[in-house]
Amino acid sequence: MSMTQELLKARTSLENNLRELLGVPVFLIEMDAFALPCGCGGVTINTRGLQLDDLEVFEEHIIKHLTDTVTSLDIEPSFLFARMIPGTAEIASINARVLCNSCYMDFGRGSGKQPRPDIYIMRFDRRG
Amino acid sequence: MKLYVPHIGHFEGLEELLAGSDNIYAVYMAGSPEYVGTGRTNLSAPKLDEIAQQTEYAHSKGVKMEIVLNSSCMGGQHLTPEGYRAIDWYFDKLNSIGIDSITVADPYLVEMLAKDYDMDVVVSVLSFVDTPQKAEFYEQLGATTIVVDPAVNRHFDKLEAIKDTVSCKLKLLVNEACLYQCPFRYAHFNFFSHANGPGPKPNVLDDYYYYKCLSLRIKDPQQIIKSPWIRPEDLKEYKHITDTFKIGGRTHFVNWILNDVEAYANERYEGNLMDLLDSIKDLKDTFYIPNRELDGAIEQWKKCDKVCHKCGYCKRLAEKVIHTYSGSGEDIRKIPLGSIGDRI
Repeated sequence: MSMTQELLKARTSLENNLRELLGVPVFLIEMDAFALPCGCGGVTINTRGLQLDDLEVFEEHIIKHLTDTVTSLDIEPSFLFARMIPGTAEIASINARVLCNSCYMDFGRGSGKQPRPDIYIMRFDRRG
Repeated sequence: MKLYVPHIGHFEGLEELLAGSDNIYAVYMAGSPEYVGTGRTNLSAPKLDEIAQQTEYAHSKGVKMEIVLNSSCMGGQHLTPEGYRAIDWYFDKLNSIGIDSITVADPYLVEMLAKDYDMDVVVSVLSFVDTPQKAEFYEQLGATTIVVDPAVNRHFDKLEAIKDTVSCKLKLLVNEACLYQCPFRYAHFNFFSHANGPGPKPNVLDDYYYYKCLSLRIKDPQQIIKSPWIRPEDLKEYKHITDTFKIGGRTHFVNWILNDVEAYANERYEGNLMDLLDSIKDLKDTFYIPNRELDGAIEQWKKCDKVCHKCGYCKRLAEKVIHTYSGSGEDIRKIPLGSIGDRI
């Protein structure tokens, strides 16, 4: 299966899982694989209709579905987060990222679920 | 019937648009945001020589040209000596080019255009004319045409009262599809006006209003039905108000625009209503609303007093007709709204 076919399948599967979980037609309008100059890589999934209270109430389940999705794409899900529109309940995207050493240090020095107003951390595996 | 049709702004787009339909009375496009911005997103910023070339071409095809300069907020720049001179210079150039009409939202610009230029002055939907009193006010300022606020597209008593009050022409925007009584309307258009205007431009991360607008519809899809769009089949119900209709959508591809033109020109559309609606394009591939199943709904809306929590008609209609797409590509299915969450 090609990478684009895998992404298409993963997007649909995750969307269906979230709809079933939340009971509303959440939409995943775009799922992108990315690689950054710093060395980070992963996937960004742009969402419409997903809100912070959904995340807070169903976080454990959403983490599981997101983890299953990115694992199916051979991505190590050590850092999962949502990007918020600051000051609101709107979630712009959910993300799975393999952090480079530099970005790991940036996030590793922070604490709490929202180290920045636009980031809500669902899972951050600290390195030993 | 006179159809005002969006044009994305470059010459090739205009050629394609005008080759695609004989049903276009006029096209409209943004001007240069260096002088006055617009209250919408733009794909282009045509310079004066490009506007001149396109106007000449439109006129050669018997089509009128309208320039939209409907910023809802200019931060007071238009009232400074420098701002006034720049706008006056720009209006003068557009006038020399032979532009047929200019759409503006600011009352000051309505009066300025009416006083000193030959172009027809069109009051934008972003002036929010929703009562006979406002219409009268703008007519007295010099408006040639008023594009009525779509919020009253289904308030026939107000439309008829506006019609009876003024003698200037009225135009109805048929497919905008903003939320009915949208709480974001003023803030969103002001945001666009600054983001797409002369500057300084804000370094914006996300369009909060758009995200929220879509979230509200996703959580409560009856909001899509309540949006005051006018179906092609229902144009006949408005002909005693006006024969002039405007199609929104200058950020779409030409084939999308032409699909709308043909639907409204023929006053009939067999397909997904979402195909025709501007401003909620992210939901076009997510909701399916078979247009013909809405036949007759206008009869309810004509007598509706808009007390939704007592009536519930739009809610029941949404539950009956709206489907959600599931899957993607060739493996896509339509699922009734009610089944989300328990039968996927």
